[in-house]
Amino acid sequence: MINVKELHKSYGEVEVLKGISQYIKRGDVVVIIGPSGSGKSTFLRCLNKLETINYGDILFKDRSIYLKQDDIDLFRQKVGMVFQNFNLFPHLNVYENITLAPSYIKKLPSKDLQELAKNLLEKVGLSDKINSYPSALSGGQKQRIAIARALAMEPEVLLFDEPTSALDPEMVGEVLQVMKDLTKEGITMIVVTHEMGFAREVADRVIFMDQGKILEDSSPQELFSNPKHPRTKEFLAKIL
Amino acid sequence: MEFMSTYYGFFLSGAGNTLIITFFTIILGTISGIILALMRISNKKVLNILSVSYVEFIRGTPLLVQIFLIFYGLPILGITIPDIELLGGDFSRFVSGIIALSINSSAYISEIIRAGIQSINKGQMEASRSLGLGYYASMKLVILPQAFKNVLPALGNEVVTIIKGSSIISVIGIPELMYKADTIRGITYKPFLPLIIAAIIYFIMTFTMSNIIRKIEIKMES
Repeated sequence: MINVKELHKSYGEVEVLKGISQYIKRGDVVVIIGPSGSGKSTFLRCLNKLETINYGDILFKDRSIYLKQDDIDLFRQKVGMVFQNFNLFPHLNVYENITLAPSYIKKLPSKDLQELAKNLLEKVGLSDKINSYPSALSGGQKQRIAIARALAMEPEVLLFDEPTSALDPEMVGEVLQVMKDLTKEGITMIVVTHEMGFAREVADRVIFMDQGKILEDSSPQELFSNPKHPRTKEFLAKIL
Repeated sequence: MEFMSTYYGFFLSGAGNTLIITFFTIILGTISGIILALMRISNKKVLNILSVSYVEFIRGTPLLVQIFLIFYGLPILGITIPDIELLGGDFSRFVSGIIALSINSSAYISEIIRAGIQSINKGQMEASRSLGLGYYASMKLVILPQAFKNVLPALGNEVVTIIKGSSIISVIGIPELMYKADTIRGITYKPFLPLIIAAIIYFIMTFTMSNIIRKIEIKMES
């Protein structure tokens, strides 16, 4: 579904991605781990063109996402994103946050929008918050709403950029639970996280990145119990 | 007392005209202010330069000069505003007055709105774009509503400035409050009374406006 070829990305003099190649199958859950500054978030942001690249190519369903004539907004509707800092729209309530894009882009009638919001809120377990504003929600609730919002355009891929890193420890579980439930629906997920438990439990593949390179790429069982690369061993020893 | 019963109609129509001028200036100034602000933050260099030059020039020259430039300059450039029987037959004067004030205020409003847009976390734009909303849709639905809320106090100041600044267009003969006060001064040879009444009416208008905006602010806070 997503084919990344020799991706290079620099900020000025500093090269943060040094030739990343990856093939991600439809329905796969891929978890990217690695130390801070390893380029894992940058890599994720390249996948929906939030970052420009210097060299390489990304194919989405065998078509480059860098073709000038293609509509970037149309592409992004197929790739949802969940951010570390939630980025809910504070001036809109939960219902409006979720239905903003489907209402404006797809021009769905109000009845369908309500149905959509209801289903999504049920999925993230926050049906009672439909009229709340983001400021009245806890961090965990905000992130669950952000997930519901990202699902509202029915994307084919969902990107998660450290979705639990800004949360109080006791709220991490509820967000991970929603994400685990999602994996059962067969949506393609690419997750940058430090939650090794999550990776071990639901990932089809775990990628270890360091200094702009992919050093290891294997099944979670393999990577956690039998890491090959010395940097992976070192990293896992520190955090597990 | 006798003075007021003779001239209150003058003050009333003057104040009414001041409000009409202010109203249209706010509308036009805000629309062009938003456009200028968007040009300023766009990634097209040409638009940046155009916007910056315009804003700097307007802010660096006196309002009085701008008013005369519009009033005498437009006809010289071949742009004549038809004198429609409206607002007491002074339509073309009104229009040049409103254009001059709008040009002036748009420069200040654009700076206010730019500051407002830049006060919004860039994650908001990223979140909106990642939903598949385009740049302008994101601006309209996500960024500008929040930006407006953040800069409401500054915009309120600008409205008050416009009300007061509109007194200057009396120089091109627009029958707004200041012009009327001055006319009465000419008729009665009493300089003090009409001016103090005009001052009081200006104050009532600006004070009311400040309070309305404060109310909106409080309402948006909750």
